[in-house]
Amino acid sequence: MKNDTFWRYTTLMPAVLLFVALTVVPMVNLFVLSFHHVEWIERIAIWKSVGWSNYTAAFEDNLFRAGAFNTVVFAVVAVTVQMVLGFILALLTIGVTRGRTFYRTVFLLPILVPGIIIGAIWKLMYSYDFGVINKTAIFLGMSPQDWLGNPNLALASVIVVDIWHWTPFCFLLLLAALESLPQDIYEAARIDGSSPWQALRFITLPLMLPAIIVTFVFRMILALKVFDEVYLLTGGGPGTSTEVVSFTIYRRFFTEDRPGYGAAISIITFAAVAILIFVAGRISRRRKAS
Amino acid sequence: MRHIPINSTHALRGTVRRTLAAMLLVTTSTAAMAADQAPMTIVINQSPWFAGFQKVVELYQSETGNTVNLDVNPFAGSLEKQRHAVRTGESPYDVLIMNAGFFIEFYSGGFLEPLTNIEAGFKLSPDIYTFDDSVYWNAETKQIDAANGDLLSVPVNPFLPLLHYRADLYAEKGLNVPTTWDELYDNAKALHNPPAMYGISQRGQRGAFDVTFDVLPYVWSHGGAFFADQKGGDYTVTINSPETLAGMETYLKLAQDVGHPSTAGQTQTNVIQNMATGQAAHIQGVPAPALFDDPANSIVVGKVNYAPTPGTAEYPSSPPLGHWLAGVPKNIPDDRKAAALAFLTWFQTDEAQRAYAEAGSPPVSRAVLTSDLADKPEFRYMKALADSIPNARLTFVIPEASQVLAITELRLNQAISGELPLKEALNTAATEIAKVMTDSGYTAPVLPPLE
Repeated sequence: MKNDTFWRYTTLMPAVLLFVALTVVPMVNLFVLSFHHVEWIERIAIWKSVGWSNYTAAFEDNLFRAGAFNTVVFAVVAVTVQMVLGFILALLTIGVTRGRTFYRTVFLLPILVPGIIIGAIWKLMYSYDFGVINKTAIFLGMSPQDWLGNPNLALASVIVVDIWHWTPFCFLLLLAALESLPQDIYEAARIDGSSPWQALRFITLPLMLPAIIVTFVFRMILALKVFDEVYLLTGGGPGTSTEVVSFTIYRRFFTEDRPGYGAAISIITFAAVAILIFVAGRISRRRKAS
Repeated sequence: MRHIPINSTHALRGTVRRTLAAMLLVTTSTAAMAADQAPMTIVINQSPWFAGFQKVVELYQSETGNTVNLDVNPFAGSLEKQRHAVRTGESPYDVLIMNAGFFIEFYSGGFLEPLTNIEAGFKLSPDIYTFDDSVYWNAETKQIDAANGDLLSVPVNPFLPLLHYRADLYAEKGLNVPTTWDELYDNAKALHNPPAMYGISQRGQRGAFDVTFDVLPYVWSHGGAFFADQKGGDYTVTINSPETLAGMETYLKLAQDVGHPSTAGQTQTNVIQNMATGQAAHIQGVPAPALFDDPANSIVVGKVNYAPTPGTAEYPSSPPLGHWLAGVPKNIPDDRKAAALAFLTWFQTDEAQRAYAEAGSPPVSRAVLTSDLADKPEFRYMKALADSIPNARLTFVIPEASQVLAITELRLNQAISGELPLKEALNTAATEIAKVMTDSGYTAPVLPPLE
């Protein structure tokens, strides 16, 4: 028994060491850094302790506040639409057997393209003067729009790109979950005279709920980290209309060279995402229990 | 299908191997004989003038046999790599190409080797512009100081804005080259015919040093500024002065009446694209003539001409310096410092500067800029550039430039996009800049808010 415990810990040790080296140590370092201001004098880094001031400054930082607000709007709207579209697509295609490999490959393509290339493609499409969207609008007799330069349209334009990019991800996960649902329940419901809508409402949705929650949380985490699409499409502008938290952290940390403050807003963001995951986990567990 | 016997394949491989080995031997021995400096690496940004710099580096290599590697990056990426390089034990780069917006932090952090420490007799060629004395730094007073400072860098590119205008349309409409913003407005209005032609295309997007760079000629030529007198040590924040407001109002008037409908979303690339595709009658851009005279990239070949940015009745043309400087980091071995200096010495020669200009990049030599080259049509930007340099000024001489720029980029862009009213944007910027400055230990009073 004693030997068992020894081997259990020994075999676990490499993973624990890796976790400590690659996650715990950098996080502790980031946390310590967040209480400092770093200055370079004659090639020497001078760390000055500043207490909680980096944290208090974060809540007065207009850019960070705008970034946090936009990130939440971006993540909630984009992921909700992706989930709905992904689910509808999964329902529509579950019965399709012909050309299955082909359509799945086609749906996979947007996920495989790097975000930076997607940004470049859509930037061209959104171009006021040369973009295919405005060219089409003019052809149809409508007036061209400043998709990325108008503060009222810019965030929506970025959200559309993200929806195009990530809906296939939701679709594939939800399709896999749909395919794994037990068919005998549907047969029993059909015999009992249930309509397709009732089957969806009372069988599919409840059974799919764990998969929906997992997919939603996965996507929310990724959406909260959005960077590359915004970086290339709008650079966070015009004004603060497409500023997102990752971009604010990048600017404050690297462009402005304020590692202490950058670390503080990174910790705040990390804490917010951790809380989201915790809450989602609790909801998921409660659902399972009920 | 033809099959090659095993023995033949083996023999073939042997021949190929021997040939390659011989070629390698010849190449390396030639290089070893010719090269008199250690191989070096330059970290540089991908700017419109980069192609010319690349060609001049190739020329240096072929003439000297020395090896120069280029690490090419986007603007912000280059800055990050430079910061990281000078803060490590040994920099992977031997020459840093620093922008006017950020070079002070490398000076004040003590990261650069004074060039006379590498070679006691090293001097900047008298033909090379010093760009508002930006090559000299006094480490004791922490100021730009031509009289008592060390020579820390060599200018690489005279990146400052010129007015680009469509000379063919000017001739067609009988317009005169503008020297004031009012004249520019009238000319732009005469040519404004959207969406086929915009009177002017301005670079209003928020970036690292984008919209700020674009509005400064307007602000300064109205008597405005961000600080009262940085060089003189007066850090009173003046971004919300009536003069700065007047400059911004002129900018917005052009944008709204005769400008591109997406000014707040226009990058330098967009602005260049608008001119190259014949959709802009004017742009304010850095001289990159090869872009517009290359038929592969432009439909306005030979039609774009250049002039200093306009001024007002009270103030002359006032372009900001966005130039590039080459510095040598302290944290590299002596042989690499010597190699870097050898390149910078060669780069200042008349021959190198002419080759640089002929390769499509504006030179930093007064002699070349005012030489016979300036009379040739392909170098017609040179006169405007030579006329502009004496009036060009440094935007920042403080290491907090990147933090101040983050504020100006955001607030000016908000004013252009209409997200904030102009006065509110300037007042907000003033308060925020003052906070950055006071937090860094400066005395930085603010003006009463604009009402």
